[in-house]
Amino acid sequence: MPSPRSTAETLVRDFLTRINKDASADLDAPLYADGVGLDSLETAELSALLEDELGNDPFSTADVLPQTLREVLDHYGADDAAAETA
Amino acid sequence: MVDYEPAEHYDRVTRAWALLMGDDLHYGVFDAPSDPLAEASDRLTSLMIEVGGLTEAGPEGTDGAPLRVLDVGCGTGGPASRLVRDHGVDLLGITPSAVGIEAATARFAAAGLPGSFEQRDGTDNGLPDASFDRVWVLEASHLMPDREALISEASRVLRPGGRLVLCDIIRRREIGFRELRERREEFAVLRAGFGAARMDPLDLYAAHAEKHGLKVLTQRDISEETRPTFAAWRANAEQHRDAVLELIGPDELDVFVRSLEILERLWDDRTLGYGIFAAEKVG
Repeated sequence: MPSPRSTAETLVRDFLTRINKDASADLDAPLYADGVGLDSLETAELSALLEDELGNDPFSTADVLPQTLREVLDHYGADDAAAETA
Repeated sequence: MVDYEPAEHYDRVTRAWALLMGDDLHYGVFDAPSDPLAEASDRLTSLMIEVGGLTEAGPEGTDGAPLRVLDVGCGTGGPASRLVRDHGVDLLGITPSAVGIEAATARFAAAGLPGSFEQRDGTDNGLPDASFDRVWVLEASHLMPDREALISEASRVLRPGGRLVLCDIIRRREIGFRELRERREEFAVLRAGFGAARMDPLDLYAAHAEKHGLKVLTQRDISEETRPTFAAWRANAEQHRDAVLELIGPDELDVFVRSLEILERLWDDRTLGYGIFAAEKVG
């Protein structure tokens, strides 16, 4: 069974494909201008999608919006590979 | 996949919009809600002409040469034709839309008007420095997310003493992330209907202008005067329903009509509105 982090990554990359953004973006690429290029409405839509599918999301629970895909995924737990290595 | 980029968006709907929004493809300024749309649309153009100083003589030292005007986001050339016909300006219209260029060129040819239209980006127009007396941006800036680049480019191509005149939908208050998330379906309908727009407060236009060597002359909220536009567009949707359905189909017509209801709510709760702005190149 995929971890929440892995499910979140699939959801985000599918979402980026659907809105014609770079779905292969690096984990550390900025989510907004000069990076993946999410605008505020797209960010709100992603936030709602993640909450619908995973029960919570880092955009509406944090004081500061996540700035990278990695920060989004970290909300759902540690990187599986990194956790195994540690 | 739906593409919300301006050029593709305009290409798909320009012809239908002319039926829905009127030939000029922009809002109206209403003295009374019952004013005909064409009259109100013309009044917005008149207001732009007035605050943009389009009735003034050509630049000093040019022996009566006409004002050189750059129309950024010229659409299908409706307001531009009036500038040339009534005020004799020397006009270059630019838009990212190939359909817009084709339509504007055809409009000018049919009317026997001089003027040229080129496919260019208003935020990186590639035109020479200090080559225009006026930069005219009528309801086009909301489709150019890099607002500062638009104003910086306008300032760059203006001659000293030249003027930027602009009108558009504006944001009248801050919309927080939580509110945007709650109202995302409304904003998604607007995006589907009108393209990937971003609205800014008039103050932000002014700040960009000041930063890029322009002195603000006029900054006016005309939200109330433009509010009856939605009822007029709704009436057009009913009147031209069959023709519009043939051009864009039922889904897009439905999005347009739903957009009107949403915009009326956003106008009424003072989230969005309409502003006009003019600034002069210092030098």
